[in-house]
Amino acid sequence: MTTEEALKALGESTADAVLGVLSSLCADGVERGPVAVVAAGASPLQSIPAPSVAANVSYVDGVTGGNVFVVTRLGARRLAAVMMGQEPPAEDDANELDELELSAVGEAMNQSMAAAAGATGHALGQEVEISVPETRLLAAARDAEGVYPATPHATTVTFSLLGEPCRLIQLIPNAFVVRMTRALNDRVAEQHGDTATNDAAPALSTQAIRELGVRVAAELGRTTLAVGRAVALTPGAVLELDRGADDPIDLYVNGRRFATARLLLIDETDWAVRVEQLLDPAAALRPTHQGGN
Amino acid sequence: MARVLVVDDAAFMRKVLTDALAKGGHEVVGEAANGVEAVAQFQELHPDVTTLDITMPEKDGLEALREILAADPAAKVVMCSALGQESKVLESIKCGAKDFVVKPFQADRVLEAIGKALA
Repeated sequence: MTTEEALKALGESTADAVLGVLSSLCADGVERGPVAVVAAGASPLQSIPAPSVAANVSYVDGVTGGNVFVVTRLGARRLAAVMMGQEPPAEDDANELDELELSAVGEAMNQSMAAAAGATGHALGQEVEISVPETRLLAAARDAEGVYPATPHATTVTFSLLGEPCRLIQLIPNAFVVRMTRALNDRVAEQHGDTATNDAAPALSTQAIRELGVRVAAELGRTTLAVGRAVALTPGAVLELDRGADDPIDLYVNGRRFATARLLLIDETDWAVRVEQLLDPAAALRPTHQGGN
Repeated sequence: MARVLVVDDAAFMRKVLTDALAKGGHEVVGEAANGVEAVAQFQELHPDVTTLDITMPEKDGLEALREILAADPAAKVVMCSALGQESKVLESIKCGAKDFVVKPFQADRVLEAIGKALA
């Protein structure tokens, strides 16, 4: 397990968690690209879009680092509108976001970052606690200089959120890379039969937690369209997906892929799925769809 | 119908919760943006149910929960938390919270939790 592999795995799990939360807030309006590891010495905050809204959360268990999520002001405006059940605006205007809009965006980022911290904790095999998010407006990219802590490692992932670019930057301390490498090596060892135990599913100790509701989604397939073609679609148009009729479909729980399954029709009226294979945590960390499609 | 105190540091979430509660016929009698305000408002308003966010400035939801239950062991509190805070959710249930709702949530889920807390 190289440092780069550990960083990528960490970035993938975080990006998928963020994608899961954003997807539940704005349905089809979000897509993600691949994880990029930032070269040593380069600034992960270089060339971020502006004007934009940036939210960051720090880790509070004594290590330096955290996640910064940057979205264009128009993207933030659209996200806030969708979260409030309104039509997203087509154009940005010169006005700053109002208090409720900023609060909505801050909350979306808070939920995303909490899910990301959960995913990071899952990958590291221990809980990661995060701070209250800080939201700030960036009039220009240079406004972000010196604001966030410098860490030895960083990754970035680009997203498209309601048609606007945004970026997730992970500022990663050395301690995480060491733990991640160890956790992934342990899992590889388990897969080779060195141990028979499966500690990836810790026992839930109270009835209350067992009753926790999670959102399960079944995904048939995906495709990518040029925006020009997407807006020109008419009823009756056929889109080919990236799966064959014989391929299994993917099951997601709160945005995280956890199993493959087969689609069933019950009584010829209701859809159901039969779980075929449960993914082990190391497999769940692997990208499900490369290249941002 | 219940008198509810809504606690969340995000004004947007307070609005969403207030709208959801109004839809279910409940009355929001107070709002608080951090744990310190939550405890003060609880003692002043004596709500039937309190919803508590976990990650908040000044004093987090878990600490506020402990103080509210110390003031009134029969207090009915529903935690509202984002994903990834499972251990804190677990701890809050052990402390005596009646239920919890994971964000992002649907209005129905909030109403169900309030109903369960009142039952």
